[in-house]
Parts: sequence; C-alpha cells; structure tokens
Amino acid sequence: MEKVQLETLTGVIDKKMNRQLKQYIDICARCAICKDACHQYVGTGDFKYLPARRAELIRQIYKRYFDKAGRFMPALYEAREPDDNLLDELYDSTYACTGCRRCMYYCPFSIDTAWILSVAKAILIAAGRGNEMLGQLADAAIFKGDNAAMFEGVMLSGFDDISEEVRAITGDPEHRVHVNKEGADVLYVALAGAHSIRPAAVIFEEAGENWTISMFEAANYGFFYGDTEKARLITKRYIDEAKRLGVKEIVVPECGHAYRVAEFFYEAWSKEPMPFKVTHILEKVDDYIKSGRITVDKGLIEGKVTYHDPCQLGRNGGKFEQPRDIVKAVTDNFVDLTPNRAEQWCCGGGGGIVAMEEFKDVRLKSGAKKVEQLKASGASVLACPCENCRLQIEELNEVHELGMEIWQVIDLVVAAMPLPGNQKGAEATE
Amino acid sequence: MSDETKVDLELDLKGLLCPLPMVKVSQNINNVPVGGIIRAVATDPGAMADIPAWAQSTGNEVVSADKQGSEFVFLVKRVK
Ligand code: SF4
Ligand code: SF4
Repeated sequence: MEKVQLETLTGVIDKKMNRQLKQYIDICARCAICKDACHQYVGTGDFKYLPARRAELIRQIYKRYFDKAGRFMPALYEAREPDDNLLDELYDSTYACTGCRRCMYYCPFSIDTAWILSVAKAILIAAGRGNEMLGQLADAAIFKGDNAAMFEGVMLSGFDDISEEVRAITGDPEHRVHVNKEGADVLYVALAGAHSIRPAAVIFEEAGENWTISMFEAANYGFFYGDTEKARLITKRYIDEAKRLGVKEIVVPECGHAYRVAEFFYEAWSKEPMPFKVTHILEKVDDYIKSGRITVDKGLIEGKVTYHDPCQLGRNGGKFEQPRDIVKAVTDNFVDLTPNRAEQWCCGGGGGIVAMEEFKDVRLKSGAKKVEQLKASGASVLACPCENCRLQIEELNEVHELGMEIWQVIDLVVAAMPLPGNQKGAEATE
Repeated sequence: MSDETKVDLELDLKGLLCPLPMVKVSQNINNVPVGGIIRAVATDPGAMADIPAWAQSTGNEVVSADKQGSEFVFLVKRVK
C-alpha cells in the first residue's frame, strides 16, 4: 500500500478508535460465545462471519500501527498491514454485517461488534473500497435534498394520487395527505414509497392529527454506507424542514434504522440537541388506539398472526411492547415468535444488505433461523414494521414456500378499522 | 419518448417498493454499453424522484420519465 494511502488509513483509525472501542478490542476473551448468536455465522458456518473474527481484523490493523509490541514485532503479536487480502475479507465481513447487535447481547463483555465495524467501514471508504451501491443511494438522497425544487412537481402529483386513495378508504372527502403544512404539530417522515404514506395518512386523518409530510424520506443509506457526514446530511434534510414548518414532533415510519438515526445518532453527528420529540409511528398508533382516537375491530384479520422485532427497533431501539399491543388490538389470534424481544433472531435483511446483490447468497442462508421460527409459530400472517426486514422475509417466504402474508403493522391497523373503503384499503396497501 | 429509441435492456420493476427500482436500475446499468438505454417500468411513485436523482448523482441520464396510467416508464441512458 502506498505511503500516502496508508497515512490516510491510520489517520482514520486514530480518529475513530475512542476509548470504548479500544477497550472492546482489548478485552475480547475469544470465548466465541458470539458465534451462536450471529445469524450469518449460524446460517453459513463461514469463519469470516463469526463476530469476533470480524472485529479481529480491526484489532490486527490497530496493533500494527498503534501498539508498541505490534509495531516492532508484528508477526508475534498478530499485527497485520491492511493489504489487499485483509481489505477483501474486511469488506465481506463488514458490509455483510446487518448491525443487529445480537452478538453484543450475548457477549459476556457486551462487545459491540457492529460499532467496531463502523471503524472498518471508515477504513474501507478511505481505501476507496466503500460499497458502491450504498454510496450511490446515499448520494442520490443528498442530491434530492440539494435540488428539492427539481422533484417537487412529481412528488406533489404523487401525493395527490395518494390523497385520492386515502379518501377512497376513509370515505371522508376532506381527508388528504398534508404537504409542507406550516404550523402542523407532527412531521411524518415517510419512506419514498406510497405504501409508507397511504396507511399512515388514513390513520392520522382518522385520529384528527394535525400532521404534515415533507419532500424527504427517512431512509438513510449514508448510515449503512458508513459515512457519518453523508448520513448527517441526509437526516438534516428533514430536520431543516421540521424547523421551517415549526412542528413539535417528528414521527418516523416503519423503518428500523430510520428510528435509530433520528432518536440516537443525529445529535452526535450534528453536535446540536435534537429540537423535536422523536416518536416511532407505532408509538403514535398505539396511543391512538388506547386513547380511542381511532377504532379497530378484532376479527377483520383472518388467521394466526405473529410479530417480528426488527433489530433496530427492538433490541437496539427498546420498542417491544407498543407494536405487540397494536397487533393484539386487531386480533385475538396472536402468537409470539420464540425467542423474541431482545433475543429475537435477526431476519438477515438489515444493514442495507438487501441492496447489495453480492451478498444475496449469504443473506438468504442467514435467514435460516427466521424461517425456523416462522414455521414453528404456525402463523399465517406476519406483522413486521421494517422495510428491509419485510423485503428479506418476503424473499424467504417465497424461497421456503412458507405461504405467509407479510404485512406492515399500519396496514394491519387500516385493515382492522371499520371504514367504508376498508376492504379496498386493505388490498391497496398490501 | 421516441418510438425509435433503441432499448438495450428492459427492466420490469412493477410492484417493487422504493428504493428498489433505483437499486435495480443501478445494478443493471453496467449491463448495457456506454450510450445504451434501459427501459424501466415501475409502479411506485417514489421512483419518479429516485431514479432521476440517482441518474444525476451518478452522471447518467434519464432520457424520459412518463406516467402511463398507474405505471412510471423511464428511459435511462448509460453515459459513462
Ligand atoms: S462473545 Fe464477546 S468476548 Fe467472546 S469472542 Fe465474542 S466478542 Fe469476544
Ligand atoms: S451485529 Fe449481527 S450480523 Fe453483525 S456480527 Fe453481530 S450478530 Fe452478526
């Protein structure tokens, strides 16, 4: 590796390795307890997907340049230069990781391998080996932010079409998608697709919420790519809109990482306190149901229903009960997956992996535990509040011929609301 | 859209939710030669912003983007 590039890489490591991360790489006892926690290692048996092995690559590079013994006697102290072989393995083990943090949950020292791999992503990006697709998706989102006027016409026309569908479901001619409404209490930061807006609009309108949407979506591929500056810029698009519109609360959609980004990371990236309350849409919906602002009927959903905790919302976001309470409010026929909540298996679709074709094989193999759980539940309907999880589980459903229906939670809610266009609504949002 | 435009690759992206239509176009852009055209048909309205934004930020070109009923039809040219 050329001297200049090496200096860049060691500079990145120096900047990123804080005390906590150094402690993680020092204290790993190599007990390998984490191997049985990682769905990718369990599903593939491939050593490079063992959590401690992934972190080990960072430890080896760190030792080579920042540890006295490793600097002078690299072979003896397992210190390595980041040559092509090491970077190739680092790329695979890093971008394949779904960031589920199940390994951390089971590690006796709570070592956060996903956090260690954020250093790996920074190294890979500095070496010109960041994942191209994730980088492109991040850049496209930033471009949309910088050129919002260019897309306004098509987006407004899309929102008009969704408004019509909302009215067809609720039967109320006044109902619509509110766009850029100044003085709204709530900014709903949806995903780019209509499926994320339509059922939410039905629920907000029926609840009589003072809400609005803006031009920017919640998904953040800068976060998956591993570039915190890109991730900050993507989030800043809707934070700026929220400030301009004067809302009190930001509501994030059924998207695991979008919740974590808004609730936990943006403050650190932007170095400013989050000026709004951040709420997940299922917290709102749970509150609407419990307070009687919307009505749902049990019995409109057929079949046994189960629920998958997306890792970023559940284990890493602490939201376990509200989604379950919602599902239980729309059906008497609920069964949990085993294990569940903090111990829930990752479905294998997080971390942006569904967008990276090169990991398709490991992704599908790594869904083995989820398939086992789904089969054992005997459920015919799965409620799942994360886009990436749904994409993965839909593919597992097909490949393994599970014959299940995979639903957004808000779609289940809309289907259970006694509305004139309910049947139509349920079909439209499938 | 011109009827004479030679299409090098057809992509059926109907039913895919955003950002997957953009992802699929990106994954396939190198499957056409430089100057070649992908014709992509999507149904998620979000693609109307996503695909042009992807093209602009990667230096490719959306030759046309038309709404035809409930479908969105794109002609995307590989520029480099
Ligand atoms: S469980 Fe924790 S301590 Fe044990 S090998 Fe894995 S990361 Fe290291
Ligand atoms: S975060 Fe999840 S995918 Fe990544 S190493 Fe840990 S268990 Fe495996």
